[in-house]
Amino acid sequence: MGRLASFVVVLSLAGSLLAGIPREAAPSAELSVEQQATATEPLAIVVNRSNPLDQLSSAELRKVFLGERRYWPNGRRITLVMRDLGEPEYKTMLREVYQMDENSLKNHFLRGLFTGEILVSPKTLATAAGVRKFVFNVPGAIGYVRLTDVDGTVKVLRIDESLPEDKKYKLHVELRPAN
Amino acid sequence: MWNCGRRIDMRATDKYEADLKSKGVVSLFDWVLGVVYRHNATISLVLVLCVVAAAGLFVIRDLQSANAEAQKLYLISVQGLKGIGELQFDAQETRRATLYALTTNDSNLQLEYADQSRDADQRVTEGIVKYQKQAKLPRQIELAGRLGRDWANYLPVRDEVLALILEGSTKEAVSLDLSSGVPSFERVRRDLNEVKRLYDEEASQRVANVEATSHRSVMRLIGILGFVFLLSSAAVWAIQRSRMLSAIQLAKMQMEFVASVSHELRTPLAVLSSAADNIADGLVEGKAGLQRYGTVIQNQSRQMKGLVDQILLFASTEDRKDRYALQPLPVSKIIESVLASTKELIQESGFVMETSIEPDLPPVLGDLAAVAQCLQNLIGNAVKYSGHSRWIGLRAFAGSLDQRIGWEVRISVSDHGIGIDRAEINNIFDPFYRSPRVSALQIHGTGLGLSLAKRIAETMGGKLSVVSELAAGSTFTLHLPIAEGEKLAMTRGLSQASSSTLP
Repeated sequence: MGRLASFVVVLSLAGSLLAGIPREAAPSAELSVEQQATATEPLAIVVNRSNPLDQLSSAELRKVFLGERRYWPNGRRITLVMRDLGEPEYKTMLREVYQMDENSLKNHFLRGLFTGEILVSPKTLATAAGVRKFVFNVPGAIGYVRLTDVDGTVKVLRIDESLPEDKKYKLHVELRPAN
Repeated sequence: MWNCGRRIDMRATDKYEADLKSKGVVSLFDWVLGVVYRHNATISLVLVLCVVAAAGLFVIRDLQSANAEAQKLYLISVQGLKGIGELQFDAQETRRATLYALTTNDSNLQLEYADQSRDADQRVTEGIVKYQKQAKLPRQIELAGRLGRDWANYLPVRDEVLALILEGSTKEAVSLDLSSGVPSFERVRRDLNEVKRLYDEEASQRVANVEATSHRSVMRLIGILGFVFLLSSAAVWAIQRSRMLSAIQLAKMQMEFVASVSHELRTPLAVLSSAADNIADGLVEGKAGLQRYGTVIQNQSRQMKGLVDQILLFASTEDRKDRYALQPLPVSKIIESVLASTKELIQESGFVMETSIEPDLPPVLGDLAAVAQCLQNLIGNAVKYSGHSRWIGLRAFAGSLDQRIGWEVRISVSDHGIGIDRAEINNIFDPFYRSPRVSALQIHGTGLGLSLAKRIAETMGGKLSVVSELAAGSTFTLHLPIAEGEKLAMTRGLSQASSSTLP
C-alpha cells in the first residue's frame, strides 16, 4: 500500500514538472507510456485586467461559457473567446467546463442565438496569442490559454479558489505526444 | 662754388621738410616712417601681410559660421518636417487601422488591425512626448500640452471602439466613433496642423535670420576688403614716402660729404697753391727755403692722398665682397703695425697711447692691411674727438659672449673725449653721417671712417661695437675670429697682461 502511494506521488511530481514545459519543448518522445498518459498543463481562465472579478466557481464558469450569464458585475457585456475546434484547450473546455460534445455545444449556441438568450456568439481565434490580445482589447472578454501562454496583459481567475499553479486546480490540458 | 651749391640744395631740402611738417604729419607718423626707413620697408610689408592674413581668417571664420548656420537650418527643417510628417501619418494610421477593423468579421484579422492601431498610437505618443520636450517658446509649450491632452482624450474612445468591434457590436462601434471618435480625432488633427503651421513660421524666421547673417557677412567682407585696400594703399604710400625721404637723406649726406671733402681738399690746395706761387714768384730764397716749402708741399700732398685713398677704399668696399686674403695673424703683429702707422699722428697731436695686450692670445683670422686700416680709423677718430684729453687706450684681449659662440679676440680703442649721444649711436656707422654736434664743433671729417671700419670688420667675419658716454669718452672694439685650428690658452686674467705707454 505504501509502495503504491509512493508511485502515485512520483507520477504526480513528474506530471507537475512536465506541465511547466512548453508543448513544443516537451521531450514527450522520451516519456514512458505511463508518463505520456498523464502529462498535462494547467489551462488558465483569463479576463481583461479591468475586470473587477478575481475568481469564479466551476458552476459560475460553466454558466459564463454557456452564455447563460451575459454581464459582469461592472455591467460589461461578457464576450466569450474560444480556440479553434480540435485544439487541446477546446477539448479540455468541452470535457471539464461544458461537459458536452462539440455538436451539443454548437446546438446550444445556435439555439441561444435564435431565441435571443445569447447576445453574441463566441469568438473563435487561431492562436493563444490571439486569445490573449482579444482579452486585452475587450474589457468584457473571457477566454482560456495554457498557463505558459499567460503574460501581464491579462488577468488569471481563480477557479474554485485555486490558481492554475495550485495542485487542486482542475483544468488541465493533456499534452499530445510528438507523433 | 661748392658752398654756394650746397647752400641752395640744403635750402631746398629744409623747405621740403618744413612742408611736410606744415601738412600736419605727426611726430608719431614720422617715427614710424623712420622705422620703415631704417628697416627697408620690410616691416610695412610684414604688417600688411599680417593684417591681410588676420582679415582673411576673420572672413573665413565668418563664412564658416554662416555656412554652419545654413546647414543647421537645413537639418532642423528636414528633421522637423520629417517628424511632423511622421506624426501626422501615424495619427492617421491609428484611425485608419481602427476603421479597417470595422470592415471584417474575422476576429483574427480584427486583432491584426487592432495591433496596427496600437503600434501607431504608441509612435504618436512618443512623437508628442518628443515634441513636448523640444518645445521652448510659450506657444509651442501650450500647443504641445493641448496636443497631448487631445490625444489622450482620443485614445480611450479608440480603445472602446476597438473593443466594440472585437465584441461584434459593429453598430455601437460606428455610433461611438461618429459621436466621440471623429470629434476627438478632429481636435488632434487640428493640433497637428497647428504644430505644422507653427513650425513653418519658425522656419521662416530662421530663414530670415540666416539671410540677415548672410547680409551681415557680405557687409563685413566688403568692409574688410575696403580696409585691407586702404591699408595696402597706405603701406605703399608709406614705403614710397620712406624711400623718398631716404633718397633725400642720402642726397643730403652726399652733399655734406662733398662739402666736407671739398673743405678738406681746399685747405691743402690753398697751401700748395700759395707755396707754388711763392716759388714761382721767386720769393723763396736759398736751399733751406726750398726745403721748407718742399716739406710743406710734401705734407699737404700726403694729406690729400690719404683723403683720396680713404674715399677710394670706401668705394671699393661698397659691394662688401670678400676681397681680403684672410690668414692667421699674430695679435702682436697687428698692434705693431698699427702703432707704427699712427706713431707720427700720436706724436704730432701730443697724445699718450696706453697699450695693453693680454698674453698668450691666439692668432686671429684677418688681412693685416685691412685690420690695420680699421684700427687706424678708430685711432684717428679718437684723436679727432678726444677734446681736451690727450689719452688713448689700445687694448687686446680675449672675450666671449657665451659658450656657443666661443672665444674671439677683441682689440679696443678708448678715449676720454666728447663721447657720443645715445640717440646717435645707431647712426654713426651710416656712410656720410656726421653728427650735428661735431659739425658745430668744427671737427672736420668725411663721415666715412666708422662706416669703412665696420665694413672691413664684417668682411673679415668680425664686427665692430661701441660703448660711449657723452662727455666721458668712447670705446670702439674690433671683434676678430680666432684662426681655425688655434686653441686659446684659457688662463684668463689681466694680471698677466703686459702694458706699455707710448709718448
